[in-house]
Amino acid sequence: MATPSKTPPGADPKQLERTGTVREIGSQAVWSLSSCKPGFGVDQLRDDNLETYWQSDGSQPHLVNIQFRRKTTVKMLCIYADYKSDESYTPSKISVRVGNNFHNLQEVRVRTYTGPTSHIYPPKNSPIRTFMIQVAVLANHQNGRDTHMRQIKIYTPVEESSIGKFPRCTTVDFMMYRTIR
Amino acid sequence: MTVLQEPVQAAVWQALNHYAYMDAVFLAERLYAEVGSEEALYLLATCYFRSGKAYKAYRLLKTHTCSTPQCRYLLAKCCVDLSKLAEGEQVLTGGVLNKQKSQDDIITEFGDSASFTLSLLGHIYCKTDRVAKGSECFQKSLNLNPFLWSPFQSLCHLGEKLDPDQVFRLSSLHIPVAPPPPISPAQNPSHRLDTALMETPQDTLELNRLNLESSNGKLTSDSTVSYIDSSLISPDPCSLLANTVSMGSTGSLLGKPNKPKSGRSLLGGPAALSPLTPSFGILALDPSPGDPGYLQNYSGSLDAQQTAPSKKVRTSTAPLGRQEAGRLGTGRLLVRSPAPPSSVTSPQVLSPTLVAPPNIQPRRSTRLFTSASSTAKENSKKLKMKFPTKIPNRKTKCKAAKTANSNLNESLDILKLDSSMNDSKGLSTPGYQSITLQRAATDMVLYMLRELGRGYQALCCYNCQEAISILSSVPAHHYNTGWVLTHIGRAYFELAEYTQAERVFSEVRRIEAYRVEGMEIYSTTLWHLQKDVALSALSKDLTDMDRLCPQAWCVAGNCFSLQQEHDIAIKFFQRAIQVDPGFAYAYTLLGHEFALTEELDRALACFRNAIRVNNRHYNAWYGLGMIYYKQEKFSLAEIHFKKALSINPQSSVMLCHIGVVQHALKKSDSALETLNRAIGIDPKNPLCKFHRASILFANDKYKAALQELEELKQIVPKESLVYFLIGKVYKKLGQTHLALMNFSWAMDLDPKGANNQIKEAIDKRYLPEDEEPVTEDFLYDSESSMTDADDSQLHTAESDDVL
Repeated sequence: MATPSKTPPGADPKQLERTGTVREIGSQAVWSLSSCKPGFGVDQLRDDNLETYWQSDGSQPHLVNIQFRRKTTVKMLCIYADYKSDESYTPSKISVRVGNNFHNLQEVRVRTYTGPTSHIYPPKNSPIRTFMIQVAVLANHQNGRDTHMRQIKIYTPVEESSIGKFPRCTTVDFMMYRTIR
Repeated sequence: MTVLQEPVQAAVWQALNHYAYMDAVFLAERLYAEVGSEEALYLLATCYFRSGKAYKAYRLLKTHTCSTPQCRYLLAKCCVDLSKLAEGEQVLTGGVLNKQKSQDDIITEFGDSASFTLSLLGHIYCKTDRVAKGSECFQKSLNLNPFLWSPFQSLCHLGEKLDPDQVFRLSSLHIPVAPPPPISPAQNPSHRLDTALMETPQDTLELNRLNLESSNGKLTSDSTVSYIDSSLISPDPCSLLANTVSMGSTGSLLGKPNKPKSGRSLLGGPAALSPLTPSFGILALDPSPGDPGYLQNYSGSLDAQQTAPSKKVRTSTAPLGRQEAGRLGTGRLLVRSPAPPSSVTSPQVLSPTLVAPPNIQPRRSTRLFTSASSTAKENSKKLKMKFPTKIPNRKTKCKAAKTANSNLNESLDILKLDSSMNDSKGLSTPGYQSITLQRAATDMVLYMLRELGRGYQALCCYNCQEAISILSSVPAHHYNTGWVLTHIGRAYFELAEYTQAERVFSEVRRIEAYRVEGMEIYSTTLWHLQKDVALSALSKDLTDMDRLCPQAWCVAGNCFSLQQEHDIAIKFFQRAIQVDPGFAYAYTLLGHEFALTEELDRALACFRNAIRVNNRHYNAWYGLGMIYYKQEKFSLAEIHFKKALSINPQSSVMLCHIGVVQHALKKSDSALETLNRAIGIDPKNPLCKFHRASILFANDKYKAALQELEELKQIVPKESLVYFLIGKVYKKLGQTHLALMNFSWAMDLDPKGANNQIKEAIDKRYLPEDEEPVTEDFLYDSESSMTDADDSQLHTAESDDVL
């Protein structure tokens, strides 16, 4: 997965994963889209490849629905969009809604995407526990009708040490004795 | 027909000895097609098995009746290799439906190969959950042959407490037996052989002998027709012995330098091969007391012995004599006594005169004896012919036994005579020397086995300190070998002394780069120490070297797990399981990975699988406890942790976990006690102190907690958790400044971590009523109530955080 040129430091999800503080849980969810062009669907959205993308094919707002089997703690959502390659397809206003099911969604965040290329994070102050997340593209750049979204990743905070309810330990000396492997 | 067989058989064996499996298979197939006897069948099956095609051997033996013990043993071995355990058992014992043979029956039936048969049977029983019977079989196997390590190892794994001193010792059964000659590569057999001395089963001896003979030279058979190449006989079974023997040979026995005389030496050095005199093949110039058979042969043709060493003739020893000797386990003694006792003579010697059928038998037995004396070639024209035909597998012993029985007494007498002869007569000196040397060598081997056995047993009972001290005290040339160092490394690992373990394991890698056993422990050590570069190098090296061993894939999985790429790690651990479903550790590691990815059900299943494979795998019991702890089923967690502790009682990490669980179950006193025990066992474990402090804090014993934490601060000054807890204690004590100071230190040390807890802790101090943690607002609020110093600290901390 290519790192985009202007990703702010620390914003690359892979690096984030390596800190061990978050874990990607998209694989535990069921993904669905409001519409898509054949060959540009969920698989391309979730394939870890920034070259492939989802192209919507209906009316706005375009929706990505993420449903979990059980109530999951979500810390961060990373969306990759690239203005340079997508121009009018690039989403500009994204709304994130959470709830229990389709009828129960509440908006938690609306963000306007400004940068040329980057990962957008709507980070939440504290992780949210939810059954379902819906990412809605409300508007595109240059008022485009359809949208391209190249990748979405969803992160949950890693549970702390296996014993005790304390935050992570930082030194190797402590971590060595934390568990028997 | 029989005459025709031998050269072919000899050729097949020679091909096998030179690992030219295609040639061997081809010839053996022709021979079997021609003759169709059970011997030929066995030979063909052996060729298939050795060339790595166990399934071919299996199908071949299945479709044809095999009644000889050697065929049955090979069939059972193929069955086990192909995981057809029930069938293997049926072959060996007659199966579940028929009347089962008892182990004693097996012993009598298989004769010399009984020890290996019982070992195989024990293995089958253990795999099919009949552990008691399995361990019984292993014990018996060890009784018969104390040079076997694998039954001993299996018994240790089952948790049996054996006494290595008793196990690895020559018992009276073994004494008269000739030491097992190292079968293999006859190149140097002599050394080994000598050392092997006692115990070995005669078969092996014989085989060795054969081997030696073959390796040493060609037979020139004056009388025999065939081109019998002793090398054809490959003492397969003996190899183990040979190896063990060689251990002991360090030194001592070999001391016996080749007695130059007839060019044969006990040790069977290159020149050792037996004298080719037609009379008999005793190599050694010295009488070998243990080898009445040889002696007998000896008596026959004393003068002939002095032939030039170069020519080794394979003589077949007097069949009868040999047999007996074999039976008695005469060691190799290729000692030649210049003056064979008269009593010995005759009837035994027989060899040359024997008729074919009896010869066959003797031959087997002689093979058994082989031992160093491989040089001793029996000389018997007729026998020679038969020589190559069969490799004496231990199984042949039975037949030999029968014939030999009658001569037993005589042999015994001969033995005594020999020894007395040796002692009394001057000429016995070389013989006497050789005997003592042989004895010494055997003793040394057994001593080594005892020491290593004690160390290994201590390790299996998790008496790690003791294991380390025992294993470190072996002689230096043994210490600097992969096996010993690996086990020492493992002992350090079990003690949670990971830096030491890493040091030892890297030494292993330096010495034996091809060793994979134990590398999974090394990889876990590196995982604990978080040395990702070393771990990835190890993983690459091992997976390049051997893609079919589970350890390599476990290492690879650990490597990716350390990089937090758990999905890939899961894939690799699953590969390790595919490669070897009997490798318990792979299941355990997979379980840990599933636990880290929050797939707790799968993790439970993996840990249970690990326990299924190996009941004493305490890591899997720990894993189960950990999952139950995560699911907040504390009493279940405690039960499993205690079970793990019962297997490994010295693990301070385990005790620490039990302490935490007990605290969660509200049994704080026992928790404190457990933690005290843990600290007693391993004072360097900081987590025990930390948890003790947190339990004291939870029980409102602030002063004690603070004291504990202060000590901990000295040990691990960079750990943010310590400051966090200190902050909490001060907060409870009402000392706000100190609390805030420590919280800010904690945040300093761990800015990126899931520090909501720390932030919340600070927040709650000031805004206890609010539910939402307010970050920026809080800062400004608190400014007013804090001193400047604290302020600036907090500011710094906060600003770093607000990146």
